[in-house]
Amino acid sequence: MAAVKMDFTIRPAAKSDCKDIWRLIRELAIYEKVVDEVVLSYEEFERDGFGKNPLFESLVAEVPEENKSKEGFTVVGVALFYYTYCTWKGRAVYLEDLYVMTEFRGCGIGKGLLSTLAKVAKEKLCTLLELDVLDQNSRSRAFYAAKGAWDVTAMDNWHTLRFDAVSLNKLANEAP
Amino acid sequence: MNCCRANCVLAKLNMNFKIRAATTVDCKDISRMIMELAVYEKMPDEVKISREELERDGFCQNPFFQCFVAEVPDENKPKEGFAIVGYALYFSIYSTWTGRSMHLEDLYVMPQFRGFGIGKGLLTAVAKVAKEKQCARLQLNVLDWNTPSRDFYAAKGAEDLTANEGWHLIRFQGQNLDALAIETPKN
Repeated sequence: MAAVKMDFTIRPAAKSDCKDIWRLIRELAIYEKVVDEVVLSYEEFERDGFGKNPLFESLVAEVPEENKSKEGFTVVGVALFYYTYCTWKGRAVYLEDLYVMTEFRGCGIGKGLLSTLAKVAKEKLCTLLELDVLDQNSRSRAFYAAKGAWDVTAMDNWHTLRFDAVSLNKLANEAP
Repeated sequence: MNCCRANCVLAKLNMNFKIRAATTVDCKDISRMIMELAVYEKMPDEVKISREELERDGFCQNPFFQCFVAEVPDENKPKEGFAIVGYALYFSIYSTWTGRSMHLEDLYVMPQFRGFGIGKGLLTAVAKVAKEKQCARLQLNVLDWNTPSRDFYAAKGAEDLTANEGWHLIRFQGQNLDALAIETPKN
């Protein structure tokens, strides 16, 4: 239940939103205390999201002028996502980042972004919407669980593995 | 969703094989092996997509995935006559921390063809593509009980983000996805 009534619009991002989206994902990285791990530059981000072959898409939440943030921003939330594939279920969507500015929480914006993304996923014939959360992030886990999400790690024992740049480089050099 | 037994220190015998990009004709074999992998992972009832959907999604104008297959010559074919004995299915993903990345969705080699370096050949072929596309990372998922696969990837330098950092994969599907979509706010 929204604590505060707030007008907002959820819409697909345009190239003109790139700076706002960058601002929001940087804020999220600060909130997650991982901003030192962000090595991506704005130029790469803009090229990868809004260039010739975009690697991701975004939905943004916008408020009218009269509700803008204290710094004057009207784009106050983002859901950044891309298409993936499951060899069992087919087309899927992966939610990389979901973020709403602190002063705009409790108005249903996060829920609105997530639901709109689910609608986009279905329109593109996707049967899965996936994301990752940290086990200590109880608030987010509870949010998604309340919306019917299934914890594939806890329930089905899947682990995510990663090769970082060094080990990836080594592997690539061994290619036949 | 990976299955590749950890290799012995030495290959059992020499086996000629070729790693190449999949074509539409390979979809029948890839579908067959997807089911074999699902059986190994004890979830054969979870496979819902058809070969036709796989072909559509992998070979349309904006494909959802890419795939390498491992092919053996006639003299090494199994008794069923298959020339395609392994595959690696992968696609681009994105990290807002490090940028371009790659996800390895499936890596599978038929049991009688393991121990010859085919799994390693498939994995390194994907890693080479990832590097060419300037990816900072290669990610995949394995089941916690799948010790041969976990050992295989750990030996190659993979880090277990679930065990080490507490990451959980969360999924909406079926009725839960439908319910979420219906809640879309009216702008």
